[in-house]
Amino acid sequence: MAQLTYLEAIRQGIWEEMERDPTVFCLGEDIGIYGGAFKITDGFIDRFGPERVIDTPIAESAIVGAAFGASLTGMRPVAEFQFMDFIACAMNQISNMVAKTHYLWGAPAPLVLRGPSGGNVHGGPFHSQNPEMWFVHNPGLKVVCPASAYDAKGLIKASIRDNNPVVFFEHKYLYRRIKEEIPAEDYIVALGKARVAREGRDLSIITYAAMVFTALEAAEILAKEGIDVEVIDLRTLAPLDRDAIANTVRKTNKVILLHEDAKTGGIAGELAAIINEEAFDDLDGPIVRIAALDTPVPFSPPQEEYFLPKVSDVVREARRLKAY
Amino acid sequence: MAAKKNKSKFHSNGNHSRPKTNKPAAANPQQRTYPIPDLRLEKPNFIIRQVGKGEDVHYQVSGELNTPVPPIRDSKYLNKQQTIEIYRYMLLNRKMEIALENLYKQGKVVGGVYFGLGQEACSCASAYALDKDDWFAPMIRNQGALLVRGFRARDTMMQYMAKADSPTKGRDGTSHFGDIYQRNMVSPISMLGDLIPVLSGVALGARLQGRNVAALTWIGDGGQSTGVTYEGINFAAVQDLGLVLVVESNLWAYSTPSEMQYRVKDLAERAIGYGIPGVIVDGTDACQVYDAVRDAVERAHRGEGASLIEAKMMRMKGHAIHDGADYVPKPLFEYWKRRDPIARFENYLVNVKKWLPAAENKQLIAEVEKEIEVEREAAVSSPMPKPESALGGVYCEHGCHTIKPKYGVPKVKTGAGKFKETEAAVHLK
Repeated sequence: MAQLTYLEAIRQGIWEEMERDPTVFCLGEDIGIYGGAFKITDGFIDRFGPERVIDTPIAESAIVGAAFGASLTGMRPVAEFQFMDFIACAMNQISNMVAKTHYLWGAPAPLVLRGPSGGNVHGGPFHSQNPEMWFVHNPGLKVVCPASAYDAKGLIKASIRDNNPVVFFEHKYLYRRIKEEIPAEDYIVALGKARVAREGRDLSIITYAAMVFTALEAAEILAKEGIDVEVIDLRTLAPLDRDAIANTVRKTNKVILLHEDAKTGGIAGELAAIINEEAFDDLDGPIVRIAALDTPVPFSPPQEEYFLPKVSDVVREARRLKAY
Repeated sequence: MAAKKNKSKFHSNGNHSRPKTNKPAAANPQQRTYPIPDLRLEKPNFIIRQVGKGEDVHYQVSGELNTPVPPIRDSKYLNKQQTIEIYRYMLLNRKMEIALENLYKQGKVVGGVYFGLGQEACSCASAYALDKDDWFAPMIRNQGALLVRGFRARDTMMQYMAKADSPTKGRDGTSHFGDIYQRNMVSPISMLGDLIPVLSGVALGARLQGRNVAALTWIGDGGQSTGVTYEGINFAAVQDLGLVLVVESNLWAYSTPSEMQYRVKDLAERAIGYGIPGVIVDGTDACQVYDAVRDAVERAHRGEGASLIEAKMMRMKGHAIHDGADYVPKPLFEYWKRRDPIARFENYLVNVKKWLPAAENKQLIAEVEKEIEVEREAAVSSPMPKPESALGGVYCEHGCHTIKPKYGVPKVKTGAGKFKETEAAVHLK
């Protein structure tokens, strides 16, 4: 067991997959000698060579297109976006080419599109976004948003081994802020399965990525007040673990949906609909949504802090819901 | 090739030499000149302008529209049998599209029909230049290329009729299907230019497996305006990937003339900007198309990188069957009708080379017609898909595919680098 940060866990996951499987290769901007803007591929070129660690032009559509084309020949490309904000530049390739391939003409496209997303690092409107829902709404893609170092490694490995295109969101706030014991042996975390990040009886918070820590912090405060909170980490937004969502509602009967993405069109709306379909009779209170503002991510720290959901928001809403 | 001052009265910034020669022009050493090889035996010289005002804005053509039809240029590579085979595919291509037009008129087609009328030489001869292990991805006017690569006319026909037995089982129409196992075809999507980086990636994937394949796709003079076209060609150029891009300059992008798409004289000049070879051919001359594409394919097989071939011709129907192309000035249709690729090739084979006696030609045409009739019957008799067959297949799951490298497991060279924690500075903390 070694202590690894979330970032190191992802690095190690990709590294191990490249050691294990010669069809895995990386491409992206500045990932070679420089090792990537966040150093996910630092040192990879010295181990795996420039053939498998390819620096590309600044051309996101070409990166995705080339990854997809290579996947059609049986390769397993891992394409890096320097920031997930820039994935918008490749939207047509992802939405119309990659996502629809298997359904329309039966060709599997085993590729991973990965990169850092999320705010709270004062990156401003073009380096802080959470664009995961663009892809959740595209049938054919899997969307993964890990919250722990253990999961980050297990999920990136599972994503590389998956036979489908996976969009893998790494929360950049977590990159170097969390550190966990990671087993030495090979393991994966299955896509499409949520986890219970904290068990509780009184109410549930369903969330993912960095907001898992916001929920856990709030749960600690609420525990001192006698409110026992369960925290569900979705881990994968597509496909969603409907059972885990329904089960926690059946258990606690009250639910808060929390995410860092903008409120309108965020996953909370979909989760509320699933709860309505699967566990409406088990609800003892209104479904509560806590999310970022429906604005672009503002740059200045006081504005960004105001924009993001906070522990105090969760504590306040949990007290209100418990009393309902 | 010497850089020659372009005497055309029309704009041009094509007076550059290609990087391969990279010799400065004698007259002005400051000006770099890049010649573009041009295989054509005639150089059409006319321009289309938007004229008129008020309620009568229309396109008008002016220039040399009464020049004689040039001969077919003898191929450097093709023998008699191959030439006749290409001619046969061109006939199949055209007669399949005539059958599709009739099926449409009978109300059997779902949606529209797209034609490659006037472009059969380009579609068929270019696909014919590929080897078996090479890849291709057709655009909507390259339905002939599918026939060359071994698909049957019924495949495309069933696609148009949205039948249960169509290659996509009704899930998509037209030539939107593919096959990564036997015929190495990437399915097109409707957005233009997006196949170019994908075909570059196919060449990349194959190269990682130790094989240099040629990856052929086409783009129109309209489609090449998209940003992804630039991204895709540039990626192939930088990585020396075996992309073979045929730019089909067919003068009309839906209703917009090429004069409103770009400001270079010839789109082959764009190759200069990418740092790859570019060549111009007469898109109605199958021999020219074949020779240029074959050169590009062989360059790809040698691992030397991408090539761009501009094929000049005209789209002889509207964008799709609903479009009567009334915006096209009539003299243009007349000019290009005289350059019909099939009529020219037929004349070449029957009268010029005398490789195909008239009686054999007649028999060949009858065979093709018979084949299309059989294909049409088979396509029509396929049932419509069951409604619930819309379900499933969104994901590759439950072991529906085994993924393995097509050309063999990549031989990896592992360096001495060991995994260690990174301590480097990063962009945002």
